Amino acid sequence: MSFKNIVKCISLFSIAMVLCLAGPTTAIADTIGKNIYQTIDKQFIPALCRINYATEITNASSGETNRRSTYTMGIMVSNDGLIMAHGHMQLENRTPKKIKVTVGAGDDEKEYGAIMLKKPDDINVVFLKIQTEEKVNFPYISFKNSPFDLGDPILTVGLLNQNFDYGKIIRAYRIGSVITEPRVTYAVDNAVNFGFIGGPVVNANGHAIGVIGYDLSDSEGGDIYTRSGYPLVYQTSLFKKYIDNPPSEEELNSNENDAYLGVFSQPLTEEYAEYWKLPNEGGIIVSTVIPGSPAYKAGFKMGDIIRNFNGTPVTAQQDQDVVSFTKLVRESTLNEPLSVLFYRDGKQQEIKLTLTTRPTAGRNAAEYEDTVFGITARDLTTDVKIALNLSDDVQGVIITRVKSGSDASLARLRRNFVIQRMGNISVNNIEEFKKAIETLSKDKPQEIPIFCRVGPNTAFFRIQPRWKN
Amino acid sequence: MIRSALSVVLTGAMCVGCATTGITSQHSVIAAKDKVAPSLIHVSPVKEVFQRGERKEVSVTGSGFIITSDGYVVTNEHVAGKSDYVRCVLFDKDEVEAEVVGTDPYTDIAVLKLRTDRTDLPFVKLGDSSKLESGQSVMAMGSPHGLSRSVSLGIVSVTDRNMEAMGSKGAPYNNWIQTDAAINPGNSGGPLVNLKGEVIGINTRKLSGADNVGFAIPIDIARQVIEEIIANGHVTRSDVGITFQEMTRITEDPTRKGVVIASVDPLSSAQKALIQPGDILLSLNGVATNARFIEDLPRIRKLIADAPVGEILNLEIQRNDKVVKIPVKTNEKSQRKGEQKELNEWGFTVSALTADVIRRAQLENGKGVFISGVKAGELAAQSKLQTRDIILTIDGETIEDLDDFNEKYRKRIDSKQELTLLTIKRGALKIFRIVKQEEADEA
Repeated sequence: MSFKNIVKCISLFSIAMVLCLAGPTTAIADTIGKNIYQTIDKQFIPALCRINYATEITNASSGETNRRSTYTMGIMVSNDGLIMAHGHMQLENRTPKKIKVTVGAGDDEKEYGAIMLKKPDDINVVFLKIQTEEKVNFPYISFKNSPFDLGDPILTVGLLNQNFDYGKIIRAYRIGSVITEPRVTYAVDNAVNFGFIGGPVVNANGHAIGVIGYDLSDSEGGDIYTRSGYPLVYQTSLFKKYIDNPPSEEELNSNENDAYLGVFSQPLTEEYAEYWKLPNEGGIIVSTVIPGSPAYKAGFKMGDIIRNFNGTPVTAQQDQDVVSFTKLVRESTLNEPLSVLFYRDGKQQEIKLTLTTRPTAGRNAAEYEDTVFGITARDLTTDVKIALNLSDDVQGVIITRVKSGSDASLARLRRNFVIQRMGNISVNNIEEFKKAIETLSKDKPQEIPIFCRVGPNTAFFRIQPRWKN
Repeated sequence: MIRSALSVVLTGAMCVGCATTGITSQHSVIAAKDKVAPSLIHVSPVKEVFQRGERKEVSVTGSGFIITSDGYVVTNEHVAGKSDYVRCVLFDKDEVEAEVVGTDPYTDIAVLKLRTDRTDLPFVKLGDSSKLESGQSVMAMGSPHGLSRSVSLGIVSVTDRNMEAMGSKGAPYNNWIQTDAAINPGNSGGPLVNLKGEVIGINTRKLSGADNVGFAIPIDIARQVIEEIIANGHVTRSDVGITFQEMTRITEDPTRKGVVIASVDPLSSAQKALIQPGDILLSLNGVATNARFIEDLPRIRKLIADAPVGEILNLEIQRNDKVVKIPVKTNEKSQRKGEQKELNEWGFTVSALTADVIRRAQLENGKGVFISGVKAGELAAQSKLQTRDIILTIDGETIEDLDDFNEKYRKRIDSKQELTLLTIKRGALKIFRIVKQEEADEA
């Protein structure tokens, strides 16, 4: 590389150095030619877009939400407006609203509306689809599968902030670590600014071979790495299938066709195998069996060691391995008997059971927003009962939001209280809650005692409605 | 701006008022102070605390006062809870050691006995807190921030402050005397004194972030607790497993009598007697139990607490439009704080289960021990045991209580058992944990 080129690289990086003191050194740039930067500028940067959206932040105690505007970088991955962005855009209880996608730069800048597609559960990225009546041939990045090695130089593109008119910036890194569990993942060797998350990763040959990401998806044991702070590279093979075959436009986070067993499990480490004198052939320990679940009905008990699930041997030595078992179960066939081989009291046994679909998760449960008293409530689902340690027989609707200043808020009703009765009306589900509100709105009583389950206790809260004439 | 100007005017008015009172009652303030001062104690216990999986001894400072000529001293439980060594400085600056006679965490009262043969110690006169009026002048005496022999003057702000509405569940059996006499850390356990020189309260709490909002336990509540501690070393209370709420939680109608039964504990005698949430308790052994407001609740709880353990109480219950009489047998009320043990070898502390922990954890049989702390880097932490886990079984054997666990634990330590299997309850889940003891390295 000529001296002139090096000088150019340095000047390009001067902005990056200001933004991030831990920026990379020019030494890395020595191994990637200027031509790669120019390829990126010509071929890839036009396919990058800015996604502006409103995110709702939920107040933990009241459940009320406030909206905040934010933006992230998106990569157009097809000429008909399919966009890939990082998964942080769509966290649980943070559904993006009012999505606007800005494509192009300067005078050619154009804004489009877009919808979110179903979030993949095995990779922490999201997909959006631009909504437009016009026939537009969008620029896009075509990703290639290419192996990585420790120390490989890579370039990535970030989005500058508003002060720099959301300009793009190229920065060099190297692959600093190859992580092999729970799947092969790469970590870059330096700090990455927020504007780079979701950006394309380009190799020394000028091929787009992955994107910058943070965290694994939940189903990969994402919580283990959450907030780890290590920027990762998601290689093309992880997301290419979704570009070739985009996710559906159905409701977000719907896992309702997944198969469901109904156990919590933990890895069978060497110590447990030794303690129980089990042959060292792997397995997973059943810890909690959820009442009413297929596992419960089939007679599974705490301490059973599942060895083989429907013909697939089960091995779980570390916490991450439990995720693979969960995935195996989720993807199993529904409504036909499966065979499970397991150890109980040192003897191998077999149970035949039929998996059901996963019960509705709390976040997808039927919700009703009452505008009379200011309560938003949902059906009480099994996962919520477990999270709040409510026994299986507790009935009612769970408060998810209380509008500040409302009659319900003055009565000190709060998020996570379970409404069981309103006045003399029993409330067992969201339909009954809705009807109770309707009845009370017609009757207009001066005061309504609300009977709630609050943690392990029950208590009354009196609403004094301010009826409007 | 208007608001601050107004507050200046108000403060000004109050100061003027204070000054006038101050001049007229100067003599009575001094006279009252002189009556109590010789009995005032500066209390410095070395207190046992359990923190992050370890038992530690920490030196704290508080206040107290002598109530008998042979040296019984009253202070707060949070000052001298579990303390093997309590150093007291008397008002004449003499230092005397004291022992803890007994404590009552429910009312935050502790009784100490000075280790002295003297029988001529000056002691205070206990007053009558039921006769207090708000606006009445009072003095707080004690050792704010360790400054012994301090006196501050103020008035009773409110005679029956209930702090449950503020989220404090600390004092089920009493309301509080709220005073603007300055109460600071170190005043705890000291006397709140009227101008007759009688102790009418025990200074115990202050509202943090506020000025001159202090709270004292009314002496009428304290008197009974003190007497019981001196007689038995502890306070025994009865319980039937009912949580009450004031009537205004369901209706504002002032003609409605009784108190609301809000919650009935699982496995309690009230539940066995089929008492239900939403029932209204009208009377107890013929004594009316009207509680329209939250301030009325401590009296009703105390009616049950004061009944002998094992006695049948006659509850008059209104359910919908019917009134029924239901007999309920009292049980002994669980201690507020479970006894704790430090288990060095694994590096954690465990405590006995209290009724509160059992209810929160929804334990079916109420058996097990509670992990109160885990020491970083030690075996328990390495084995992924966590604070607030409940250990249900050890190697498949049910843990009856703290002593039973301690015995089973000791056995495994002594026999150097390599692997120990625990069943843990963590929230709604049950999980296994294995503790692997390595053989100790030879030095």
